Amino acid sequence: MFNFNIEFNGEFFAFFLLAVCAIVGAVLAINFTKVVHTALSLAFTFVSLAGIYVLLEAEFVAFVQVLIYVGAVTILMIFGIMMTKHQDEGKERTRPLLEGLAAVGCICLFGILFYAIRSASFPEPADKLPADNTMSLGKLLYSAYAIPFELVSVLLTVAFIGAVALAKREPEEKEGGPS
Amino acid sequence: MQKFWNDQVSWGLAGIYLLGAIAVLAVVIVFVTYAIYFERKVIGWMQYRRGPNRTGPLGLLQTVADVAKLLIKEDTIPAKADKALFILAPALAFVPSFLVLAIIPYGLNLQFADLNVGFLYYVALSGITTIAIVIGGWSSNNKYALLGGMRSAAQMISYEVPLVLSVVGIAMMTESLNLRDIVIHQEGYFWHWNFIPQIIGFAVFVVAAISELNRTPFDLPEAESELVAGYHVEYSGFRFAFFMLTEYIYVYAIACLATILFLGGWNPPIPQLDFIPGLLWFALKFAFIVFFLFWIRATLPRLRVDQLMGMAWKVLLPLAIANIFLTALGIEWWG
Repeated sequence: MFNFNIEFNGEFFAFFLLAVCAIVGAVLAINFTKVVHTALSLAFTFVSLAGIYVLLEAEFVAFVQVLIYVGAVTILMIFGIMMTKHQDEGKERTRPLLEGLAAVGCICLFGILFYAIRSASFPEPADKLPADNTMSLGKLLYSAYAIPFELVSVLLTVAFIGAVALAKREPEEKEGGPS
Repeated sequence: MQKFWNDQVSWGLAGIYLLGAIAVLAVVIVFVTYAIYFERKVIGWMQYRRGPNRTGPLGLLQTVADVAKLLIKEDTIPAKADKALFILAPALAFVPSFLVLAIIPYGLNLQFADLNVGFLYYVALSGITTIAIVIGGWSSNNKYALLGGMRSAAQMISYEVPLVLSVVGIAMMTESLNLRDIVIHQEGYFWHWNFIPQIIGFAVFVVAAISELNRTPFDLPEAESELVAGYHVEYSGFRFAFFMLTEYIYVYAIACLATILFLGGWNPPIPQLDFIPGLLWFALKFAFIVFFLFWIRATLPRLRVDQLMGMAWKVLLPLAIANIFLTALGIEWWG
């Protein structure tokens, strides 16, 4: 199980660097006390994951990940954090028993994942990836998967309109109120 | 892309990549230096002034002197600022702006990375700069900086949408997002360039791009009369210089993209002129776009805040979507 055979090519170095960055970002996101710092380190993890997608030759997924998660979701989070007041970022009291149990759970989970990944076999895919994978992705999305794709876009539109409707209602209530 | 991963890692290869990056950096810094000079001169002429003319012959060293002044200036960090983020923000703004330049094809064989998502790469990375601007404004712990940062982020997110949608028409015509394929598809006479069949897309692209660059008439994040100077009020010295550098690198990137997407890249206007090297044609069109940006800055007044968002969502977005439908109909009817 522990017979790693590592080739020191560009892929190895890139993967190693990106993996470390993703983990560091995630760990920092848990450990920071200020919410803005947490949001930023999450963004760092997202960017590192996008780098791993590029390594896997999924450029389209990688840059859409950056566009959506970093460009939109993180900025939205930061906006939300800045709009609200948050002076009371006090420290929670530590609970040693709970933390110990959590650590044991984490180590068990790591063991299971490590065993599963090392004992799994990864067969070569039957046919090679197409050269222009963005194009073939687009073709599949608009032919074989057209209906699910359209359904998802309808769902998003409904959520969008719902958000606008919810945001619009607030001022009217204020006008009717005692103030 | 895969060829990069399979190489054995050696100092030689790393050195070659490093040299390439340094070469681009040098070109960009020379561009930024003289773009600022050119901007001040052009606006000076348009306002019946002379512009910078004291430092060096014809004032050519003015920007160099300005940058030297910024570099030796005292580096101040406000006492109540969030120190780590305050220091991080300028670097975080600059890095994506420089990474964006990796995919720009200047000629058929003059390109660093041939990525098949092309334009999407630009939009994705420029979003990271938006985060840096918000963070810079927030970490300064200053009301004006925070307001400037917020305005900037809201504006950049809103105008990203029409910017992307305006390019969809081109992707449909070319059947590719690859920037090199887009230029190759525009070969022939100048009426084969994308700006004529995609005239609505071009208009939307130009307006959205100027807004993305935060330049007049959309420079609300830095509206001097309302906010002191925008998100970088508290910045001085070389940190401020980094924000400025980022801004001008995006001008470079947008001018390159407009050239590639709509003005035929390195293709000459008529094929008989192809004895002139493509790089020269690219530079000419690029210079025209840059001049156009300065021209607009000298001519138009600033928009009001309430008009700004309405412009993006009620005017540009419907136009861009209409352009997509028209392009689809055009492809269906005329092939």
